[in-house]
Amino acid sequence: MRTLVATAGGAALFTGLAWAGTREAESCLRAKVWEGYADGWGVRTLTATELASGKTRNYVVNLFKGNQYKIQTCGDDHVTNLDVLLYDQAGTVLARDTTTDRQPVVEFTPTETGSYYVVLYARELAKPEAGVAMAVVYK
Amino acid sequence: MFTVAVALLIACGGAETPEPTPAPAPVAPATPETPTLTPEELKGSAENHTLVPSPVETQNALKAAGIETKLGSLIPERQFDLKQSDLDHIAIRTGVILSDMLLTVTTSEKPVLVDRLKSIRTGLASINGGPDIDAQLLNTIDRVTADAVTRDELLKEFDELSGAVIPELEFNGNARVVPLIQAGSWLGGANLVAKAVKEKGNPEGASSLLKQPAVVKYFLKYVKTEGAEKAPAQVTQKLDESLTTLDGLASKAEPFVAADIDKVIQVTDDVLALL
Repeated sequence: MRTLVATAGGAALFTGLAWAGTREAESCLRAKVWEGYADGWGVRTLTATELASGKTRNYVVNLFKGNQYKIQTCGDDHVTNLDVLLYDQAGTVLARDTTTDRQPVVEFTPTETGSYYVVLYARELAKPEAGVAMAVVYK
Repeated sequence: MFTVAVALLIACGGAETPEPTPAPAPVAPATPETPTLTPEELKGSAENHTLVPSPVETQNALKAAGIETKLGSLIPERQFDLKQSDLDHIAIRTGVILSDMLLTVTTSEKPVLVDRLKSIRTGLASINGGPDIDAQLLNTIDRVTADAVTRDELLKEFDELSGAVIPELEFNGNARVVPLIQAGSWLGGANLVAKAVKEKGNPEGASSLLKQPAVVKYFLKYVKTEGAEKAPAQVTQKLDESLTTLDGLASKAEPFVAADIDKVIQVTDDVLALL
């Protein structure tokens, strides 16, 4: 089941009805993505999900050498500390946030084209589960 | 050990007892511990719908590689049936047109742009995209027709539609649709990148853009999956062959040479001709 909502950019967009937290996180992130367009950032992907405390969610992304990337996130009100990390295929952390908030960001400029892993980590939640959203933007 | 010894000497020497030092306030470590994830765990648990680069992102990377070509100028005229065919076929075709539209949105003539928007709307309706996206596309077509939206605004809207909205649609629960739309966009984009590289005579520059084994394997998985809505064997077989060839090329250790670029053009042309 999907519904139509308006974003900060004025475009009609769609979001899942399944869970208010996911919707809140997604809405927060869409606004950030639209703000980024003013600085030349395009959106490659945006996705939202639920995450349990202490758990991770992993996404594989193919990134191009020569482009700049930013991994933006938003957690809902129940997220106290969300982490975002970027791993290479060998499992080495290439970039990570060091903040203790619910909207961490990392920037990364690959020196090689290839597959990388974006990891969202629910380090501290006020409830057992919360909604989180992640976007990969580029320029 | 030395510290302990000194502390004991001071204590035994009858020195004044220092004021107890207040416990330091907790400070977040500069580098907090990271989740321990092995390469196998990362690979095994990763979601892959975020894997595929967008056409505009690919064009940016092409420019960064020193190949200054507007991919949109290489797009041929396409005549696709977006109503009567099987769902797989329409999904791939819709992806190709979406890629064409994104690469030309700021430069194409209004009638061409409106035609592409109408084709995307028809394609998405045929594969059960749902009434909301249909209404959004109709609204977009109206605004373009009335010159009520700038091309830059339109690029933003469709960049987001392609990267963030369509992948979240459910298509009546048909899980193959999103990857096949992405496959269409990627194949169309790879075809144009290879042609641009050939035009500029810079095969090595394209190596990093066209060598994407993980992307090719992701598409192959869906092409090989059986389903009631599957495209005719002729199409899936050709798609399978082409992706397998691209997978082989992507696995080459050496940089691409002119013959490799010709191969990419040939196999992607073959698939696109069948659509």
